[in-house]
Amino acid sequence: MQVLLQTLIGGITFGAVYALVAMGFSIVYRTMGLVNFAHGSVVMIGAYAASTFYMATRLPFAVAMVVAIVVTGLIGLIIERFLRPLENKDFTLMLIGTIGFGAVLEALAILIWGATGHAVPNPVATEPIDLGGVRIPTYSLLVIGVAALATALLALFLQRTKTGAAMQAVAMDHEAATACGIHVGRSNATAFAIGACLAAVAGSLIGPMLYVNPTMGGTLGIKGFAAAMLGGFGSMPGAIVGGMAFGLLDAFAAGNFQEYSELVTFVVFAVVVMIRPMGIFGEATVNRA
Amino acid sequence: MLRVEGLSVHYGGVRAAHDVSFTVVPGQSLGIIGANGAGKTSTLKAVMGLAPRQARGLRFGEVDLLKAAPHTLVRHGLGYVPEGRHVFPGLPVEKNLLLGAYTSSWKQTPIDEVYELFPVLKEMRHRLAGALSGGQQQMLAVGRALMCRPKVMLLDEPSMGLSPILVAEIAAVLKRLNDDGLAIVLVEQNAKLTFEVTTTCLVMENGEIAATGTSADLRHDPRVRRIYLGL
Amino acid sequence: MRWLLGIAAFAAAWLLPYALGGYSMHVVDVAIIFAVLAIGLGLTMGVAGQINLAQVAFFGVGAYAVAILTTGAGLGFWTASVLALVAAVVAGLLAGIPALRMQSHYLGIVTLGLALAFINWVTNAHVAGRAEGISDIPVPPMFGIDLSSAYLFYYVELIVFVVFLALALFVTHSPLGRRLRAMRDDDLAAGALGAEIPLLRMTAFVLSGLYGGVAGVLYAGLIRFVAPETFSIGNMFLLLAMVIIGGRSSIVGCVVGALALAFVREALLDVSAFAQLGYGVIVVLVVVFFPKGLAGLLSRRKAGGRARLGPFQEYGTAAADEGTVLEVEGVTKRFRGLVALEDITLSVPAGQIRGIVGPNGSGKTTLFNVVSGFYSPTRGRVRLHGRDVTNLAPYRLSLRGVARTFQNLRLFEDLSVRENVLLGLDRTRTAWIWRYLATPWAVARYSRGLNRSAEEIIARFGLQEVADAVPRALPYGIQRRVEIARAMAMSPSLLLLDEPAAGLNGEEVRQLAEIVRSIRGSGVTVVVIEHNMGLVMSLCDHVTVLSSGRVIADGPPDEVAVDPDVVAAYLGDSMAAPTESEVEHAEG
Repeated sequence: MQVLLQTLIGGITFGAVYALVAMGFSIVYRTMGLVNFAHGSVVMIGAYAASTFYMATRLPFAVAMVVAIVVTGLIGLIIERFLRPLENKDFTLMLIGTIGFGAVLEALAILIWGATGHAVPNPVATEPIDLGGVRIPTYSLLVIGVAALATALLALFLQRTKTGAAMQAVAMDHEAATACGIHVGRSNATAFAIGACLAAVAGSLIGPMLYVNPTMGGTLGIKGFAAAMLGGFGSMPGAIVGGMAFGLLDAFAAGNFQEYSELVTFVVFAVVVMIRPMGIFGEATVNRA
Repeated sequence: MLRVEGLSVHYGGVRAAHDVSFTVVPGQSLGIIGANGAGKTSTLKAVMGLAPRQARGLRFGEVDLLKAAPHTLVRHGLGYVPEGRHVFPGLPVEKNLLLGAYTSSWKQTPIDEVYELFPVLKEMRHRLAGALSGGQQQMLAVGRALMCRPKVMLLDEPSMGLSPILVAEIAAVLKRLNDDGLAIVLVEQNAKLTFEVTTTCLVMENGEIAATGTSADLRHDPRVRRIYLGL
Repeated sequence: MRWLLGIAAFAAAWLLPYALGGYSMHVVDVAIIFAVLAIGLGLTMGVAGQINLAQVAFFGVGAYAVAILTTGAGLGFWTASVLALVAAVVAGLLAGIPALRMQSHYLGIVTLGLALAFINWVTNAHVAGRAEGISDIPVPPMFGIDLSSAYLFYYVELIVFVVFLALALFVTHSPLGRRLRAMRDDDLAAGALGAEIPLLRMTAFVLSGLYGGVAGVLYAGLIRFVAPETFSIGNMFLLLAMVIIGGRSSIVGCVVGALALAFVREALLDVSAFAQLGYGVIVVLVVVFFPKGLAGLLSRRKAGGRARLGPFQEYGTAAADEGTVLEVEGVTKRFRGLVALEDITLSVPAGQIRGIVGPNGSGKTTLFNVVSGFYSPTRGRVRLHGRDVTNLAPYRLSLRGVARTFQNLRLFEDLSVRENVLLGLDRTRTAWIWRYLATPWAVARYSRGLNRSAEEIIARFGLQEVADAVPRALPYGIQRRVEIARAMAMSPSLLLLDEPAAGLNGEEVRQLAEIVRSIRGSGVTVVVIEHNMGLVMSLCDHVTVLSSGRVIADGPPDEVAVDPDVVAAYLGDSMAAPTESEVEHAEG
């Protein structure tokens, strides 16, 4: 029972990060129909930006996160500008183009920070909380809390602001949105920037949990993407549920199959999406694919 | 107010509309009728900048529509109700309406007037637009276009897929709006509805204007029947 | 000319080792392995359109199988190689199963996940040597020739490479390759033309596995050491870049791209971060500005802009079969509660031209989609020549003689007009594909026969001048004619035409009527959806009118046109629009 709960906590912590990555994928996909394979690399850049700033300045971790958000937001805008010709085009081209961009970001990271990577000290260096024998690391609580906060802010933005409503409108029907006076290109750029900001949050949170290195984006990106797909591509609740599900799957696979966890995770993932290709919330997603 | 001169629409190699010209003066109601595939929708879309177009002239008041980006037309007072309604299905009714007023402040919108015109929308204002019936969605689409306080409203097949009672209801609303001074361009396959609502009509066939006249005259014109039914 | 170029290239390749130092030779050997991999990826992704990101894993399966079987099980190198190829093909089959359920990015991520799963396994499994890999793979024995020499191994590689390049080119240009390309462009239309989509997708993955396996065997023989990092996701993306830069739908382009990038990578090995930056930038630029890659820069298709249609040559007349060709009985189709068709019943006797008309959104195309197998009806049956065909897949219906055209023209845009027609002519089952390996000459003979029949059809429909153009480059009227020619190439007994006159001018509509009459005269039953009422009235023997998903009238055209319900559906409710004779009567 304790082992189960312990695994559950680890799973939820990673699940929260996967959910953030998956939301980044989803918001870009549903607004502009672009599957952004460079997203994982943006997460990596976010992790580097936050950890470098945090370790160099010793300012609070929150400040480092804000810096990372600004950095990746700008990168997001640049990527969107470059890849605009690919929006709503042939999927293969998007895939390759965004993978190319990912390779560029990875190479830049190697040039700036070196190929070896660095460990990030835990920003909340307190003892884990002991709840009936289950040890909850305080950092896990921070991760879950920040992820929940980011999700809530995103939901508020989409539900309550004019720009958010306009972005949703563009996702649902860009022609009708144009007729309403909404500038589709600007809305897409906003979506991309938001996606990149979510990547920064995910990246800065995962930094202290993993070893920050230039190739971390690949695996994180793929897992976040898989989480988005598990939940139903393009659906925001789907991204959250999919992220959690993937995190738990990962944690239980790690608990029961040790070093073969990745093998088990991806085989289970393949079987699940075979059975339900549209994902858990697939019915509700925007029909883009 | 709206002046269309020699407008042509081509999709790839397909000619959808050719050399269409018409003008709309303030308060006028113009109908464009014709069978399916006659080029009515393409004409309207081209005016809105949503279809590839060529024209000798395309002006709305002082604005050259050939140079204006499609999303700026609303600001100049050109409202558009697309064919097949195209409401935002995943957003609540009220949000749909507010998006119609995207270009202006959400603090002073004519939303109460729209609710007065379509009380059912007020009842349903928290429902998702996708959950509305076809007729309610059509009202929502019209309401959304009204939210920008347009001077001219372009409507594309508002009767499509609606029951006769709902068509009559839409007709009544359009007449009322027109009486209140809103200029209307109504593209319709439903000739009866168009003749009731509008004073002048164009009949399109194979992408060109085949006949023009007052709605009253065209109502009894055998050409209309030939174009529709091939007799 | 092409042959000469090929022979010259082969001769140059044969002499190449005399000009190279030992290390350069090794680099070339590795580059050729990448080229084999790239051909495999080009076949699955470029030709068949299957997003397969597990190619590098198939490569790994081949290499690891050889390593494990030789060092662990003590098998000979070549025995192990044969088993390794089998293993790679099986891996291809397994990885291909998801393709039956999903496509595009979904398929991409699942295959990528499977590749990660494979890497995870080899990095941790004891039998695969964990992270250290497996060394001491024996030198492949070859009649006393020492294949541990990079120079001599080169010749083995060269021969294998040429054989598999030839196989890939043969497959691409054969009827199978045509179907694969058609599936890539538009799988629905390909299905309607008789291509078994599920089997074709599996075929693509089997080919992918085969080429991965071959590359893996060569790699094991050359390096004699396997370790996980060779089969990493990074190398998968490098492989992708090769295929994209070369031009994914051109096999030769893939080879060129692979060789070029392999050499560039080698040259920049010391500054690998800059190399990665460089090829990342190149990939982005290529994708944004030259989506067809190097191959796209070189190839020029014949433009058909000014081409003209020749006259249509009438079919000979033949008596139609007796009886009823198509019966639709109580068909209802709902989409998530929305009723598109409600209890439709109609029957079309042999040799009739049946018109289906109705206002927008009345369910006409939905009806076609049910009849041609694209949709399963919610209720009701469809019978063809008295046999129940409800729920049959489109390709089965196609093989039973149902041909259709599409409202918005679904020609295969990257295939020439001739190839579009050839696809219609090809009536083989995909199960036939074993012959591509067993008796390729029989395939070639069959293919020549198809070409002759295609010329006949092209001549009949007056398409000689445009036969080599891609449909995209042609005027719309010609594209419409091509689609009918393609449908008639299937020798159907029932032809479904969805708005064949849309976008045509007056003269073209007249020619269309002539063609449809001649088709009927040759014994084919025709059902046509059309908005041009003039055409419907003059062409059809019998008209069925749909409105809001129901049949509201059914009868000869002149009767239907005065039916009050029809008038109401078209002109608006209950408008008593006077007929011309009534007007004359009133005025007189």
